[in-house]
Amino acid sequence: MQRKYLSLITIMLVAIFFSSCQDKEYALPLGKTGLNNDCIKRTLGPNIVGANIEFTYAMALPASEGKIVSAQVVATIAGATGTYLENRSFYTNSSGVDVGITVGSPSVNTDVKTMVTFTKDTCAATLRYFYTIPEAARGGSVSFKFSATATNGQTVSYDMGPYTITNMDMKLDLLCTDNKAMYLSIADMALYDAAGAAANAANIDLVYLYRNIAGITFTHALVSPGASMDYLPGVTLPTGVNKSTKMSKTWALNDFNLARLQYGIYIDDVDFKVLDFTGAPNFVINFKAQAGTWVETADGKYRAYIYINAVNNATPSMTISIKRYKIK
Amino acid sequence: MKKHFIKFLILILVIFAWVRCAKNFPIDEDGLLITTRGQCYVGNFELLGADFQTVRTAAAVIDTTAQTINTTVMFGTDLKNLYPQFSLVTDAKLDPKITGKVDFSDLANPKKWTVVSGNRLVKKTYTVYITVQPKP
Repeated sequence: MQRKYLSLITIMLVAIFFSSCQDKEYALPLGKTGLNNDCIKRTLGPNIVGANIEFTYAMALPASEGKIVSAQVVATIAGATGTYLENRSFYTNSSGVDVGITVGSPSVNTDVKTMVTFTKDTCAATLRYFYTIPEAARGGSVSFKFSATATNGQTVSYDMGPYTITNMDMKLDLLCTDNKAMYLSIADMALYDAAGAAANAANIDLVYLYRNIAGITFTHALVSPGASMDYLPGVTLPTGVNKSTKMSKTWALNDFNLARLQYGIYIDDVDFKVLDFTGAPNFVINFKAQAGTWVETADGKYRAYIYINAVNNATPSMTISIKRYKIK
Repeated sequence: MKKHFIKFLILILVIFAWVRCAKNFPIDEDGLLITTRGQCYVGNFELLGADFQTVRTAAAVIDTTAQTINTTVMFGTDLKNLYPQFSLVTDAKLDPKITGKVDFSDLANPKKWTVVSGNRLVKKTYTVYITVQPKP
């Protein structure tokens, strides 16, 4: 009995040994036939109204089967002005530079559809799509259907999304200048001079000033009109400008959308919701580039993040960019 | 033979369990080691603003005899939202613990922290005096 089992095990081992040592002949993999497509989303972070969502759409079929006739994108909500599908196909050269080759006529937008008609004989192309987020999409979501058609009659499509569109607004590169454009309105996302501030007194939330005072470090400051005049030296506020805005200073919170630097930090709607301004001051002095401040307007209607892009001591000025979220 | 082996095995297991449960290193209510060190002082003191940058104009002056810390902060410092940082002698701990922002705005009633030595037998209370840089 024991011998019987032993011989069975031996046979099994020999069989396994032979089967595992068998050489498999290599065969060249066969390429896909027919029209194929693929898509990736290139932009990261929150999708902000007025900004772009960028995609890369690739399509190809074997040269022997035909060429590409057209490519199109259909969004669930029509894009704002500036929405387009590239008519150039990009490849990355040996230096890492993206090079575009024109393959079709400039894209045409028709309501929710953006289309490029190919004018060159091509069987493979990668087109970029820039969707400028419209006001109609605020707080909602948007999806996309990419598709391509070939001369052999084949059509392929690729669905992307849905993508949530944020509620916040963004304003880039406002130039605050001492004694000129120094009155900042969060509600209007704009700067005013004294005359403009007097005309929009109810909307002025902060005053920009630069002071070089011996013995202390004051330099560039954003101060509520309602703050102590110790922090507004030499400033005569226009009539009615008196709000007290809550602030919380930050350093190196380099939001990618505002700073446009190499840091992968994004401020999104949720960040504004969780802020706590209990005991927050109504002024911040001594700003440097890459600093910033969280802000809540006196009426509690808006919260914002003001990022300091650059400061200039010679011609007292400060470049700021703002993300703003409506609380109520 | 088998009987002796089981007896031996049980004996070994009991020895292991007893050795592992022996408390050679006492810990306090915070789970920190109680050591033999009796030193009890603050080595360094830092004060950070809401942006986690220092608000001091110079190094804090620490008097380990008077048990005081004196520091001057910049004009315009938001005293309600500061993060104090203490560097303590080895094995010492601070009471109360600092868990977030501290309000230093009541300058007439300076904040106090007690340093507890590594052996938990020596306690010294430090008072933190803050002076705001005056407006010229």
